[in-house]
Amino acid sequence: MATLALRRRSVIPGFGITIGFTLLYLSLIILIPLSATFIKSTQLGWGGFWTTVTAPRVVASYKLSFGASFLAAAINLVFGMLVAWVLVRYRFPGRRLIDALVDLPFALPTAVAGIALTAIYAPNGWLGQYLEPLGIKVAFTPTGVLVALIFIGLPFVVRTVQPVLQELKPELEEAAASLGASRRQTIFRVLMPSLWPALLTGFALAFARALGEYGSVIFIAGNMPMVSEITPLLIITKLEQYDYAGATAIAVAMLVISFLLLLIINLLQWWGRHRHQ
Amino acid sequence: MSIIIENVNKHFSGFHALQDVNLTIPTGELVALLGPSGCGKTSLLRIIAGLEQPDSGSIRFNGEDTTRRHVRERGVGFVFQPYALFHHMTVFDNVAFGLTVRPRAERPSRGEIADRVHDLLKLVQLEFVADRYPSQLSGGQRQRIALARALAVEPKVLLLDEPFGALDANVRKDLRRWLRRLHDEIHVTSVFVTHDQEEAMEVSSRVVVMSKGRVEQVGTPDEVYGAPATEFVSRFLGSVNLFKGRIHDGWAHIGDVRAPLPHDADTQAGAAVAHLRPHEVSIADSPEGAIAAGCVRGILSIGPMVRIEIERDGEENGLVEVEMVRERYLRSPLALGQKVFIKPRNLRVFASGAG
Repeated sequence: MATLALRRRSVIPGFGITIGFTLLYLSLIILIPLSATFIKSTQLGWGGFWTTVTAPRVVASYKLSFGASFLAAAINLVFGMLVAWVLVRYRFPGRRLIDALVDLPFALPTAVAGIALTAIYAPNGWLGQYLEPLGIKVAFTPTGVLVALIFIGLPFVVRTVQPVLQELKPELEEAAASLGASRRQTIFRVLMPSLWPALLTGFALAFARALGEYGSVIFIAGNMPMVSEITPLLIITKLEQYDYAGATAIAVAMLVISFLLLLIINLLQWWGRHRHQ
Repeated sequence: MSIIIENVNKHFSGFHALQDVNLTIPTGELVALLGPSGCGKTSLLRIIAGLEQPDSGSIRFNGEDTTRRHVRERGVGFVFQPYALFHHMTVFDNVAFGLTVRPRAERPSRGEIADRVHDLLKLVQLEFVADRYPSQLSGGQRQRIALARALAVEPKVLLLDEPFGALDANVRKDLRRWLRRLHDEIHVTSVFVTHDQEEAMEVSSRVVVMSKGRVEQVGTPDEVYGAPATEFVSRFLGSVNLFKGRIHDGWAHIGDVRAPLPHDADTQAGAAVAHLRPHEVSIADSPEGAIAAGCVRGILSIGPMVRIEIERDGEENGLVEVEMVRERYLRSPLALGQKVFIKPRNLRVFASGAG
């Protein structure tokens, strides 16, 4: 019986060849470069590795990178959902234009975005000149980093939530209302439970994208050590000093933390999905 | 709870969806809104529910004006055509939803909710699916759960939008009979929308036939079928053969037949049209009292019925359909090409152009 089960043919053929190709491809594109990073970082030895990745300047950069990325993804979660909601639920002139605008951060070279944001938020910029008297400094501070990360992350949330919202028929809300639910109850008990797997995916994508972002941030951040220096910039700095081992050590630390965070998000999603089945 | 609909009008971007609709639905009845798609029946149902606002006119529940009252406070149970079950909740939670969203002071205890949900699931004969999710149910089961969910809040009025529309023929048939029985049991005033005349006749105690945003006729299934008020109703409720005639001296003259006019028709002169259903035709071999003459073009045996197609003399595409039970046909069988005369057993005359 055991051999029979092993030899059983699937109705969808080609498993062998497709999985083979997938593994090869993933190895070439992702695993080999990543393992090279890991191997390179071992040159430092455990002690050297630890000293490098826990240096105060590096730790400060983690705090900024992960903190700002998390905050940016969270802000995008709220406003991205709002944008998706408006685009799906209402018909108004200019809807298609706004829909197209959402994708711009995908397409724009990030350096351009960085320069544009800096020009606007600099103390003498369009918006900066009004914010400055209020005591709000955006450009060349961690707030600037946040603004840049919000900019590049928005489309991820909008584009993952939009199709799910489209599937949520207005009848669901009408049914909830006819059963006596208030608008609040309808949102939290009917809409959100259906939306949150998509929201979480959007959040994870925006978060991951923000972690890796370099181009737009370095223009607006000011890159002051211990204050507004992001981890990817530290890696570049080390590379420019020909400290390859140090650069890869920080990269490895960042990879591991990111991987763990994304894994947690994935587990949350898996749990969310399997609760209903 | 009786429902009174008065002078309701509704426009959708330039389209007059409901035109001065007046309708009274007595307490405890099961009423069908019947009509072709686009006749305004679903709009009317949604206006009764409060999901849509009329442009003018009023809706009264037991004499009380509820036109401006939000659907939440109207006390209606609404069953949607695509079920609209909450797919992230179990069947139990779906049915309990209306009770669990009540403000704390009015909310029954957990135990009471559980009892009520189980009673309802028993009522719709689906107790065993309480812990499943809607995606694990068949279409018919989902529809029954949607009904149980609507009934959980003890609605004063139950509204159903094409409740059997998405189901296959057999399930439909079962559910119709089941809905009829359910209504006999719980007696809540119910209105359902359908475009299927058989469904309307089979399920409801009263049929409202609608066309182009107007109510054409209200009556029992027997009345609307047997005594259709307008040409539209007559045509919509089953196939008819049409015969053209003239109005003269207060009578309609069609072929060799003189038929009484409807009481609201212009009785002096004009054109008339007579409707004759396939099973109301007698075939004769003498011309006295015949409405038309023709020759037999087709004889189709369909189970217990025999359908005969007769081509009328002097009229192209003038096929008359006749249906009779097999036994009767066998008593006087016909041959293809045989010359016959058509005699009406029950003729309904309408002034022409009135439908």
